[in-house]
Amino acid sequence: MRKWRKIAGPVLATVLAVSLAACGGGGKNGSNGTDTASNSSSNSNPASGDTGSASASESGKENITITFQNIYPDPTDPKYQMLRKIVGQYESDHPNIKIELDSLNTDQQKLKLKTQAASKEVPDITVVNPSAQMKPFVDAGLFAPLNEMVEKNGLKGTFQEGILDYYTFDGNLYALPDGNNIAIVYYNKQLFEKAGVKVPTTFEEMVEVVKQLKAKKIQPMAIGEKDTWTGSFLFMNVLLRTNGGPGFLKDVLGGKKTFEDPAFTEAVDAFQNLVQAGAFQEGATSFDYNAGENLFKTGKAAMYFMGSWATGGIETSSVNGNIGVFKFPTVSGKGNPDEFMLAPGSAFAVSKDSKHLQETLDFLNYYMLNYPKEAFAVKGAVGVAQKVDGDFKAAGYSDMAMEVLNLFKGVKGGDLAFDNTMNPGTAQIHLSSIQNLFVTKVPAADVAKEHQKAFEDNKE
Amino acid sequence: MNVLKVSKWTIAAFVLPALLLYACLVFVPIIVSLYSGLLDWNGIGTSKFVGLGNFTKLFFSDPVFWPSVRRTLVLALLSMGIQIPFALFVAILINRYIKRPNFLVSSYFLPVILSVVIIGQLWKTIYNPSAMGGMLNQILEGLQLQGWTRAWLTDPKVATYALYFVALWQYLGYHVLIQFTGIRNIPSEIYEAAKLDGAEGFKADYHITFPMIIPIFKISVVLAFIGSLQSFDLVMVMTAGGPAHATDVISTHMYHMSFLSLKYGYGSAIAAFLVVFCLLATLVINLMFNRIEKRYS
Repeated sequence: MRKWRKIAGPVLATVLAVSLAACGGGGKNGSNGTDTASNSSSNSNPASGDTGSASASESGKENITITFQNIYPDPTDPKYQMLRKIVGQYESDHPNIKIELDSLNTDQQKLKLKTQAASKEVPDITVVNPSAQMKPFVDAGLFAPLNEMVEKNGLKGTFQEGILDYYTFDGNLYALPDGNNIAIVYYNKQLFEKAGVKVPTTFEEMVEVVKQLKAKKIQPMAIGEKDTWTGSFLFMNVLLRTNGGPGFLKDVLGGKKTFEDPAFTEAVDAFQNLVQAGAFQEGATSFDYNAGENLFKTGKAAMYFMGSWATGGIETSSVNGNIGVFKFPTVSGKGNPDEFMLAPGSAFAVSKDSKHLQETLDFLNYYMLNYPKEAFAVKGAVGVAQKVDGDFKAAGYSDMAMEVLNLFKGVKGGDLAFDNTMNPGTAQIHLSSIQNLFVTKVPAADVAKEHQKAFEDNKE
Repeated sequence: MNVLKVSKWTIAAFVLPALLLYACLVFVPIIVSLYSGLLDWNGIGTSKFVGLGNFTKLFFSDPVFWPSVRRTLVLALLSMGIQIPFALFVAILINRYIKRPNFLVSSYFLPVILSVVIIGQLWKTIYNPSAMGGMLNQILEGLQLQGWTRAWLTDPKVATYALYFVALWQYLGYHVLIQFTGIRNIPSEIYEAAKLDGAEGFKADYHITFPMIIPIFKISVVLAFIGSLQSFDLVMVMTAGGPAHATDVISTHMYHMSFLSLKYGYGSAIAAFLVVFCLLATLVINLMFNRIEKRYS
């Protein structure tokens, strides 16, 4: 008995050790639990397929789970329901296919995808941002080309012209966007009336309007500059004007221009004029995106520069009915107001290593074909990347939404946001450099030098 | 020594699981991140070995790194030099003058159990400009001190100090609790004996309380120091390192580099620096306290 115990002790302990160590190893590598969970569930597919094969001889199909990472975690967002509706429909049409949703908010999803990419465990369908932001993933060979899939069922024809270019690398299309937006200025008609100002047609007038609103103790503009891209987006629109047209960053990338070009320094000066006139709320750099937008949505600020995706949120706020929109004006007579800051939206990409590549592609094809129709039904069709059939007015879209849709019709090209054009290293320095302009006055030449140095340091 | 009457192998076998778990979760990641610190890697694609390249860049040509180290250190020093002595002072007062101290100590402790995100949002509203309902600025205006009002979190000159204050405020109760408990454990006979010898009040504290709670004090100091070095969440919630890196600390700089600039290797180099720094600091603090303890024992 005693001897038995003597042996059993260590043996038991070793078993414990091994089983625990196995847990430890798994936790270390996956670094987020759901990741390994989803992985093990997809690993179990063949197994469940095997057990199903007895019954599969009747249906002839194996059971399949497709992981669908998405950025609609908020049940109050109409797109949340819409996504589940399309998925539910597909699942009932294909009883052997299960779509597992991995819904995260934007920032979480970005981080998770980066962690997953590092260990090459990308979900079957994931979300990426256009151009420079998705390039590292494409370069790492993580995504499957969608060239053939997009031709099926005429899916390609539903997309707006040129939009897919932002997701195409070396002739291969790697992602399908769900949105396409432009940057516009929303303004509160009531507050404009109160201050007796008119919609500005030039940037100089805009600065003047800011001063007049300020004199009437009305907060001229709202911005959530803690998130840094917000200010950059506005700055880039000024640059789009002072450069007399799109393509400044492309010229820098191509070596035709430097950041010390007059177009850039002029943009910095103009932007600082706006800041120095007191356009933005005090402490703007500690307001995050939502807090900034809320100032406008609660009628505490007269103007709001943002992508047209904000339309839906403003429609459901208390200022609805009082809001108009205008194009970003010319800066010292330069630029064309019909050129916009373009924001091709986040897009769905398919993992190259997906265990069920064909089924995943088929599902995404179905999803994108149905997306415009369903988005239209939940009033989320302003700024969809595909052509939408239907009478917006009759469907009950607001006047503001109609105005925004009209602006879309007049778009004559434009530029992408800075971080969609430059690599992440340069982009981060740019973002904090612009954020700095909100709190300190900096000579334009210094800003230009900082940018040029960042660009050269981060060249690949 | 073999009190348990089991073989050494059994002991080893029972220690093994925890040891393996600890090694996997603590040492392996540290070593992996030390190694990643030697790579030029964006965290996604292929990596390139660059030796100490990241570190030379970090130490000699990163304009954000040293200021962020300085801010982290200032926070640690403030925490050790102001927060903990103040906590000790509060603990002594509570212990001496309050009959039923539990409620008071719990109240001091309350901010510690609140989520940092809540604390951050709370103080953000307090620091807001008065037009947005910022309490601090409104009070200052009410006291006719308009000249003192500031955009607390967005003026690069004061933003860091505004952050320091919140960090110190939040964990004050933690240290009060630790030291209060330490003081409670000092037998009252010692004080009574001292009273007979004519030592009362702060004199007794100087000769009795302080030497007796040095081990507890040490725990407080080490916790405060490490906590300050790793401060991340509060900064992320309140300013995210902005405006323009004016409030960046080591860990937020690391986050920006690894995940936003996609320089995973470079971020790992910062992480490695932080680990080594923490270890060294703990070592120094321990040595310091050993000397102090020797003097009093």
